[in-house]
Amino acid sequence: MNSVKEYKCPNCNAPLEFNPPTQNWKCDYCAAEFKLEEIDTVHNEEASEQDMQELDSYKCGSCGAELIADATTSATFCLYCKSPTIIKTRFSGRFKPKSVIPFRLVSDEAKEIYREWISKKLFTPKEFKQKEEIDKVTGIYAPFWLFDCRADGMISGEATRVTSWRKGDYRYTNTKYYLVTRRGVAQYNRIPVDASKKLDDNFMFMAEPYHYDDLKEFSMKYMSGFMAERYDVESDEAKPTMEARAKKYMEDRLRSTVSGYSSFSIRDKNVALSKVDASYAMLPIYLLINKFKGKDHIFIINGQTGKVVGDTPISRLRQFVFAIIVFVVVWLICVFGGALIV
Amino acid sequence: MYKKFSFLMLVFLLVSIFAGSTAYASNPINVVDDLGYLSDIEIQQLQARIDAIKSAYTLDTVIVITDDTKGKDSTAYADDYYDYNDYGLDSQYSGLLLLINMDIREVAISTTGRAIDIYTNNRIGSMINNVTSLLSDGDYYAACNEFINNVITYADYGVPKGQYREERDPDLNYYNPTYLQKVARMLKLWPVYIIPLIISIAATLIISHSSKGKVTTTTRTYEKGGSFVLNQNTDQFIRENTTRTRIQSQSSGGGGRSSTHRGSSGRSHGGGRGRF
Repeated sequence: MNSVKEYKCPNCNAPLEFNPPTQNWKCDYCAAEFKLEEIDTVHNEEASEQDMQELDSYKCGSCGAELIADATTSATFCLYCKSPTIIKTRFSGRFKPKSVIPFRLVSDEAKEIYREWISKKLFTPKEFKQKEEIDKVTGIYAPFWLFDCRADGMISGEATRVTSWRKGDYRYTNTKYYLVTRRGVAQYNRIPVDASKKLDDNFMFMAEPYHYDDLKEFSMKYMSGFMAERYDVESDEAKPTMEARAKKYMEDRLRSTVSGYSSFSIRDKNVALSKVDASYAMLPIYLLINKFKGKDHIFIINGQTGKVVGDTPISRLRQFVFAIIVFVVVWLICVFGGALIV
Repeated sequence: MYKKFSFLMLVFLLVSIFAGSTAYASNPINVVDDLGYLSDIEIQQLQARIDAIKSAYTLDTVIVITDDTKGKDSTAYADDYYDYNDYGLDSQYSGLLLLINMDIREVAISTTGRAIDIYTNNRIGSMINNVTSLLSDGDYYAACNEFINNVITYADYGVPKGQYREERDPDLNYYNPTYLQKVARMLKLWPVYIIPLIISIAATLIISHSSKGKVTTTTRTYEKGGSFVLNQNTDQFIRENTTRTRIQSQSSGGGGRSSTHRGSSGRSHGGGRGRF
C-alpha cells in the first residue's frame, strides 16, 4: 500500500487540485473540472481509521524523489515535480480530522489582499514593503480543535442607580444600591482552538471567525493543491484555552442582561462547563512569514472569509514623522481656525 | 515763649508732613457732566455717595460725561482724565473712572492701583453691561447710580481668590483687532500647543496598535442560537443614601484676570468698555 496519495485527472493523469471558486477539482493541464462525486468514483480511498506506521521518508508518487517535509506536514508539494502530495499516514487514526472548511480564496486573491494590506501600513519601513516576498504566501489547512460545551453560569454583584437634582443652593445626590444576580445556561458550539505549535495562537484567534455553513466531512481530496499541518497540541492541552473563552463568553452574556444601572461591579461569579466535546478539524488560512532584521513577522488571511491579521516591523522614524505632521496640521487649524472664532 | 512757639511750629510741620504722606490730596469734584444730562441736585447726590465710598474704601470714584475726547479713544481719554486731574487716594492712586462718551455712545471704565485687582475683567464686563443697558434707555442718573452700586458691591467682595494681573498687548486695546492680531494672540496661548500634542500622540498610538488586526468574534459568535436561557434574574433593593453639596455661587468667586495697560502718564490702568 502506498504511503502517499496523489489525485490525478481521470482524463489526462495530470495532478488534480481543489479549486476554491467553484469548490470543485480542476485539472490545470486539460482544464477539466470534476465534482466531489465524480472523483469519488475514481479515487474512493479515504483516510484510514487505523493508526498507520510513520515512515522515515516518503517518496513522491509522480517522480519518486524524496519528499522534504516537517514532522507535522501532512500535505505538501514535491520539491522537484511540484505535484501535490498527501501523506496518508498523517491523516490516519487519531490524526484523521472529522471535518474541514475548504478554501474559498485562491492564492492570487490572497496575494492581492497582502499587497493592499502592506501598502496601507503607515509605519512599516520601506525596505520591508519592498521585499519581494509575495510569492511565499501559502495556503495551509491549519489543525484546530473545535470544542462544543454547555455552560452554566452565575454572576452577582452590586449595582447602583444614581439620581441627582438641585434644590435651592444645594445639589442632592441619591444612590440606590441593589444586589443583582443572574443565572443562565447556554450551549457553545465549535469554539476553535489552534492545535499547531508552529502557528501563533493569538493571530490564529484574531483570524476568526469561520462560518460553519461551509463545514464539510473531512476528505483528503480537499488537501490536494494546498499545504496541511497535523496537530501537535493534544485536545487536553487546548482545553484550558477554550474553557477560559467559554467562561468569559458566559460571564459577558450574563452581564449584558444587567441594564438600567449607573454602575455594576461583579462580586461573585461562577461558570461551570459540562459536556465538553472536542473534534479535530482543518481550517483554511493563507500564511506568510517574513523575516526582517532577525525577527519573524506573521501575516495571516482567513482562507474562507478573507479577514486579515498580521504584524509588520514598526519604524520609529516613520512614527515620529507622522506625529510631527499631525501636530503641525492640528496646530495650524488651532491657530488660524481659532483666530476666526475668537 | 519763642522757644515754645518754635517747638509748636516743629510739631505742626512734622504732623503736616506725616499727614501729607498718608492722606493724599485728591480732586474733590468727582462728577463731571459737560453736557448737562444730570441736574445739580442729582450731581450733589452722586457726589455724596462717592464721598462715602472714598472714606469707606479709600477708592476714588469719578464719573465723566462728555462728547469731546480730544481725539483720543475712550480708554485713553478715561486713563488720562484720571491721571492728569489729581484723582487717586493712596500711594497707588487707587480708584476708578466711568467715562460716558456721548460722541460715539460708548462707556469706558478705567481702573488704577488697587482697583485694578478688585475690578477684574469679568466684573468690569458686568458693570459695563449694567450701565449700558440703562444708558440705552436714556436714564443717565440711574446709570450713574448703578455704577456706584456696583463699585460698592465689588469693593465689599474685595479682591477675588486667584486674581492676577496680565499686561495686555497694546495692539489689543483696539476695539476690533485685525485677523493677524488675533493669530498673534492665539500663538501665545498654551492650549494651541497642548491640544495638537495630545492629538498627535493619540493618533500615532492608535494607528500603531490597531495595525495588527481586530478581534471580531463576540460572546454570541459560538453560542448556539436560542440556547441561552436566563434561569434567575433578580434585582434586590438593599439600601439608599442621599447626600447634598452646596453649589458654589459664581458671583463671589469667578474669573480672576485683570488686564492692564499703560496710559500716556506711564501709570498702569485696567478696565474695559462697551457701546450703548
